[in-house]
Amino acid sequence: MTPSELHQEIKQLIVEALQLQDVDPASISDTDALFGDGLNLDSIDALELATAIARKYDVKVSQDQETRDAFRSVRHLAEFITMKRAAATGGGHEGR
Amino acid sequence: MTRKVALITGASRGIGAAVARTLAHDGLDIVLTCVHQRAAADAVAAEIRELGRQAWVAQFDVKDAERSRAAIEQLLAQTEIHVVVNNAGVVADSVFPALSPDAWHSVVDTSLDGFFHVTQPLVMPMVRRRWGRIINIASVSGVNGNRGQVNYCAAKAGLIGATKALALELASRNITVNAVAPGLIDTEMITSAPVEEILKHIPMKRIGTAQEVADLVAYLASDKSAYMTGQVISIAGGP
Repeated sequence: MTPSELHQEIKQLIVEALQLQDVDPASISDTDALFGDGLNLDSIDALELATAIARKYDVKVSQDQETRDAFRSVRHLAEFITMKRAAATGGGHEGR
Repeated sequence: MTRKVALITGASRGIGAAVARTLAHDGLDIVLTCVHQRAAADAVAAEIRELGRQAWVAQFDVKDAERSRAAIEQLLAQTEIHVVVNNAGVVADSVFPALSPDAWHSVVDTSLDGFFHVTQPLVMPMVRRRWGRIINIASVSGVNGNRGQVNYCAAKAGLIGATKALALELASRNITVNAVAPGLIDTEMITSAPVEEILKHIPMKRIGTAQEVADLVAYLASDKSAYMTGQVISIAGGP
């Protein structure tokens, strides 16, 4: 999957998991803030999104700084998922 | 539209049993929890099934984190839960200088730990469903204070604080969180209370019934109260 395809998939997941009926996935930018400004999500949305991402991509999402950084934007999320999955499948290290 | 399910803690008797019957009458299926009075809870469940509703009885102590979590998980494997009524509560009155650690913890832990243990696992499913009702049975004692009940007043005031904070977190998901603050209600809890003395201070000059409290809870559990959250409603025969 190309980074661009992963970005589209994450946007779709955000809209579905958070039931954002009024939001067109294509209208979410790769770099806009998801929380506070931008999509204006809150901390309960973050929990829901974390659960959805953990389930869809089979990655461990814990409550640490790395995760908080990852949830800043779609691009950060894509990089986080790509890195976690690479760590889980390659190099013999568990991605946690 | 699927039928809604309400979980009521401490539902074997008193206000909890009245709430269970009333919500069943309104068309909800009911989960009753009890800690000691299993036979009484089973009898309420049987009445509810007579109404054509489903009823489950889960026996566990809401103070016990592990058992509460296990019991709720087991229930959630069988049914969704749309409404939770945190009703389980105990009193152990004593003037403060003589209040034992046991009397403090049994009362505070049942109300506050019980609220936490039972409600938390039900919240994210409500968030995902974008609908939920959380109703906490507090007390006018938690609003006004009452001699000999420092433990009970602290527990109920704590529950009121939790109600207001959780209401803010969940409001945008169509989940309301409200507290009911009953005054003197005709249940086993008040058998040792000085009723004659207290009646002098109740404007309506009578004690309330569990049914009157249950009818208020039924309103808060329904769609009719959708725009109301974070409130504490006294039902005490006077302001």
